[in-house]
Amino acid sequence: MRIMNGHIVAFCCEHSAYPAADSAGRLGLHYPENVRVIRVPCAGRVDLIHILKAFENGAAAVLVMGCEDGACHHITGNTRAKERVKYSEILLKEVNIDGGRVRMFNLSPNAPHKFVRAVNEMTRITKESGR
Amino acid sequence: METKIGVFLCNCGEAIKNIDFDAAVKEIAKFPGVTCVNLSSDLCLEEGKKKMISCIREENLERVVVAACSPEFHEHAFGEVLEKAGLNGRLLSMANIREQCSWAHDGDVTGKAVELVKMAVNRVRLLQPMEMKELPVNNEVLVVGGGFSAINTALQLSRVGLRTTLLEKEAALGTGTEELESLCGFDTSSMVSAVEADKNIKVLTSARVMEVDGKIGDFSVRIRQEGGEILRKYGAIVLATGHQTELALDCELKLGLSIVSQEEFCRMLGNPSLETEPKTIGFIFDFCDENSRFPTLATLNNALAAKRRWGSEVYVFYKSVKVDSEGAEILYQEARDCGVVFLKSEVPPRIDVDNGQVKIKAKDVFLGEDIILVCDVLVAEELHLPTEETANLSSLLNIRRDSRGFCQEENVHLYPVASEKKGIFFVGGCRGDLDLGRVLTDISSVVMNVYELLSSGKILVEAEKVEADPQKCVACLTCIRVCPHGAIQLVRINGGKEVAGISDLACYACGICAAICPAKAINFQSYRDEEILAQIEAI
Repeated sequence: MRIMNGHIVAFCCEHSAYPAADSAGRLGLHYPENVRVIRVPCAGRVDLIHILKAFENGAAAVLVMGCEDGACHHITGNTRAKERVKYSEILLKEVNIDGGRVRMFNLSPNAPHKFVRAVNEMTRITKESGR
Repeated sequence: METKIGVFLCNCGEAIKNIDFDAAVKEIAKFPGVTCVNLSSDLCLEEGKKKMISCIREENLERVVVAACSPEFHEHAFGEVLEKAGLNGRLLSMANIREQCSWAHDGDVTGKAVELVKMAVNRVRLLQPMEMKELPVNNEVLVVGGGFSAINTALQLSRVGLRTTLLEKEAALGTGTEELESLCGFDTSSMVSAVEADKNIKVLTSARVMEVDGKIGDFSVRIRQEGGEILRKYGAIVLATGHQTELALDCELKLGLSIVSQEEFCRMLGNPSLETEPKTIGFIFDFCDENSRFPTLATLNNALAAKRRWGSEVYVFYKSVKVDSEGAEILYQEARDCGVVFLKSEVPPRIDVDNGQVKIKAKDVFLGEDIILVCDVLVAEELHLPTEETANLSSLLNIRRDSRGFCQEENVHLYPVASEKKGIFFVGGCRGDLDLGRVLTDISSVVMNVYELLSSGKILVEAEKVEADPQKCVACLTCIRVCPHGAIQLVRINGGKEVAGISDLACYACGICAAICPAKAINFQSYRDEEILAQIEAI
């Protein structure tokens, strides 16, 4: 396991969170530099191994971002992602990684503010609980 | 030997200012496998693309990373550039150093940009080429229903050259369109005769769908007719099963001479030899169902017509008049100008029948007082509900319905007429309470969608984009259960073993099955576990 590098890994669904992150940039809404976006076809593609591997590689937090509830392009993708995030929290607690460091966010492609707010919030949480 | 990777950096016409490209080029050149790093300012223009092609050829590159704008813009175009240079278009990964790096942060972000490129380089190394293949599809369409939207969809499909079958449960086409006819002034019988004259359209009456199997391009449908059952093949299915109306009346009240439905009222309006013209007419709407476009239009239309034809006193009890459908605002204004009285009430009015006269009692919001109206005719509130057939068919086809029982759009804004399964569409009343303008838009968009899918008789798809490894698959059926698009079925492979078979045609490539497979047997090209993990390792 590497030393925590303070990065936030954000798995972004290409139908919602990825365009939201893009439009945040386009609107000049600035957010902390430590975010690394990984594009996925649906939040439902994100597996436990991806979340855990991110922590193993020293991420300070992991975000899974999918479509709004009930508006998932693949119907159940976002709910499955949410369940998986919940389960990963339990696993992380066992190895003493505070549960608050992995979160699922739902947003729509036209919600860049929500993306920025989520990233800011995660950064605050990681800073408060120590890098 | 190491894979040769070429990195193309672009400063987007100097729109990226806070990255030191010279320093970045030096850093990127150190990554293993990177044989050339190019910097340009116009990669997405013709000049830039030409340079890219010649560079790929000269350096014999095997994989390409483009670090520039968001992949949402030009990923496809760069894929084509790769194809032109003789590489497979999928051997490309993009690093978003503009929207998600330069523009999103203050100050110098060279470090982050280099890291994003490193993530892309790590991913591109593992990407596999993917071939496109053509799959044949049956270009006959099944339209279920026999009302306005079904008939028009069939006529338009036939006009674009697609053979169509109209399947109606009643004995004849065009039944139950009287209300729509009198409101919108079209003639159903001429449409029905147009259908009968059309060689491309086959009509099956008194028929029901019993079973549907297969996927887009190859649905096999078992149809029960009076004579017996037939099995037919279709490329796409369009549901146009319409809606049904129900009166929102207390159970002790009954329809009769003084309490009528909108449909009956239309008939009264159309009757030239009506015995007694009603002097006072009351309408009620928008209390039980607040999402009522069609009933609103019907009420406004009929109130205005009654006022004009008989000069009666017309009172409309409502909770709110919603004028979002086409022409409704003008209609509302016209009705008010003509002297139709609108009375707003928060709770449904109380209705009593006394010696053949109807007494409506409601509390007016603006006056704050009770109003009692004695009227000759009361037009009761109508509810717009999905038909039983819609319920049956959606469970046969295994597609979702919304909380009210109407067919649920795949995406309310983007794909209003598509179901979550490819090749199944719905149009008109079966997907909600629509006004005529919306129904016509629906019909055109369904026809366009179907034409796009089936007109050429074949569909171009990425071959085996998502594939289950027969060695690893234990046929646990998890993927079949979770696939939101019904694209997975059990297939028997050589040797008699049953494994999950993913249809290239029906698959939307969401990757839900790949994440959930307990045996990790499902391989999702370009988003495989290795490829995602390689990106994480670069961070």
